[in-house]
Amino acid sequence: MEERRIGVYVCNCGTNIAKMVDCEAVAREAEQLPGVVAARSYKYMCSNPGQEMIQQDIRDLKLDRVVVAACSPRMHELTFRGALQGAGLNPYFLEMANIREQCSWVHEDARAATSKAAALTRAAVKRVVFHEPLEKRYVDMCPATLVIGGGVAGITAALELAGADQPVYLVEREDHLGGNVARVDLTAPYLDSARDILAERIARVRENSNIRVLLESEVQQVTGFVGNFTATIRTGRDGEVATTEARIGSVIVCTGYQPFDAARVQSYGYGWFPNVVTSFDFERMLRSGRIVTDKGAPPRYVAIVHCIGSRSQEFHPYCSRVCCMTALKYAHEAKSALPEAYVYDLYIDMHAFGKGCEDFYRRSAEIKTIFLMYRKGSAPEIRQAGPKYDCEMLIRVNDQLSGEEVDIPADLVVLMVGMESREDAGKVARMVNISQDKDGWFIESHPKLDPVATTTDGVFIAGACQAPKDITDSVAQARAAAARILGKIARGRIEVDAVFAEVDEERCSGCRMCNELCPYVAIEYDETKKRSHVISALCKACGTCVASCPSGAIKARHFTDQQIFAQIEGVL
Amino acid sequence: MDFEPKIVGFLCNWCSYTGADLAGTSRIKYEPNVRVIRVMCSARVDPTFVLKAFEQGADGVLICGCHPGDCHYTEGNYKTMRRFPLLKRLLGDYGIEPERVRLEWVSASEGHRFAEIVNDMAAKIRAMGPCLARPALTEDPAQR
Repeated sequence: MEERRIGVYVCNCGTNIAKMVDCEAVAREAEQLPGVVAARSYKYMCSNPGQEMIQQDIRDLKLDRVVVAACSPRMHELTFRGALQGAGLNPYFLEMANIREQCSWVHEDARAATSKAAALTRAAVKRVVFHEPLEKRYVDMCPATLVIGGGVAGITAALELAGADQPVYLVEREDHLGGNVARVDLTAPYLDSARDILAERIARVRENSNIRVLLESEVQQVTGFVGNFTATIRTGRDGEVATTEARIGSVIVCTGYQPFDAARVQSYGYGWFPNVVTSFDFERMLRSGRIVTDKGAPPRYVAIVHCIGSRSQEFHPYCSRVCCMTALKYAHEAKSALPEAYVYDLYIDMHAFGKGCEDFYRRSAEIKTIFLMYRKGSAPEIRQAGPKYDCEMLIRVNDQLSGEEVDIPADLVVLMVGMESREDAGKVARMVNISQDKDGWFIESHPKLDPVATTTDGVFIAGACQAPKDITDSVAQARAAAARILGKIARGRIEVDAVFAEVDEERCSGCRMCNELCPYVAIEYDETKKRSHVISALCKACGTCVASCPSGAIKARHFTDQQIFAQIEGVL
Repeated sequence: MDFEPKIVGFLCNWCSYTGADLAGTSRIKYEPNVRVIRVMCSARVDPTFVLKAFEQGADGVLICGCHPGDCHYTEGNYKTMRRFPLLKRLLGDYGIEPERVRLEWVSASEGHRFAEIVNDMAAKIRAMGPCLARPALTEDPAQR
């Protein structure tokens, strides 16, 4: 084999790697490996000077392979591939060693971490020797988009895409658009009407000829790949059912959330006390303009309890984000409808994080909302008040502000139910091939840098299906997802990874075992040649066929047996 | 005795490798015995990779994929699941104890689980001692 000229770059990542791994020692060890002509460690390899250093070496030292030992390749593989390409080297001549996420951040013994980092780097060097130049592939981009869910996120995404003259299929399970926002009266913190926000947008959706709205419809199946999906949509309920086949290039999942079932928390007596209601029950009262108890009388005492199902070890550990400000909104609405009523607000911590929210909190205190703070894990208890009281219920709360256990009167109790992922979110996830986190929310490609993309190219997520969020953030995500798709449409064709499987027809025995195993029907059998071959545009490079070929005739580009064997030798 | 087992981990890119990365971003600590090799899907793990690892001196091999039903490639993990018992039988013929190879499902959100699996495996193999099958593997002419 011809002599390789390999450059090895060990990143300190500030102190993220360097405080646990002796990066200089890793570089010195790598320097001894066959083919390595330069090995350097540097503060931040991904920075401009870091990348320029690699490019300079490629030119000056005539490097033909590069190893970067740094963070996870899931983080910066594309960055460094770009650096190679910029210096005129095939981007696939790069290999990364993950010495941050899978080394310095997870180990406590510097000696062991350094020796592991050196082994991972050695494996990368041994592997990169066998890297082959790969050329990017391009496929056409179908400009139509499927938006699943007609809530505020879905409506916004559809309008944004249609506004750029691109076709949209907007699929909604219910018989109307609007989602959970359609159940809400006013919105926090500016107290404008949710109805106004929605009505204008729904009207625009209706008028836009680029948007095909499918109500009472569900997506049954999505097949294909980025730019070239086919969706099967079923419309109507038992009896009259119509099926639509849509050719689409992208998908935005905007399936939202479902409210937590308050009956699961027994100490609040929801479903037992008629005047203990959920936030959505209360919204209904507000929208009808009548705040009344079950006896039809206006309540004298209104109590609002935060964090029902949220921030709890028993139910959901996360914060549902919108309930604190919604609770304050209730205080305002209750006070304005019933100026004589006493409004109590029972909270754990007041999360007033958004723009205008802290101000809203201050104004809520000014209208004489009585705030009581309870401790996480010691939920207030509701009981029937006796005949000697002028209220229907009493709430026992251990108030952290005064340090006293007090009973507060209540005629109406509003439980601020949290958000949870939809019961059938898993079905959607499997259909479009995206993942869910431990709480069932869909997982984004990167929590900070790629918040609306997913691990499946061409499938985006927006709104509360990703995690609890308010209207503002849902709208922002919807527009971000639309912008991502418009960017792809503008380029007309999309680059797909050069990694796929290939059959060596000389070695193929024509047993057709791989034909059956391929989940994408990407392997075709040629009857005349009696050989199988891979349709590269359909192949997603899982490597299932490669591992099962009895003749060893299938090669997984960029994950060849030879490359992985070299890597195994390197780590040991 | 200060025997430290060497474990080679084959992790699928979409669930398990991401889960292992999450252990890192969450700063969950685990033992440094595992060295990870990324594959796109657990179904890419050719039985010869596992044999090669033991031949090169590994004391254990860990294969991780997406949970059943969650495979990025729809059903690759089912294929891995079906192949695994055959692999174990093959390894048994070389005198490799079944405890030295593990197939586990680790999702992208299970950083903790990955750490627990590694710690558990390291402890068990540390107690078993080094893998003694290496000569059998290197001498076998049938081995490619």
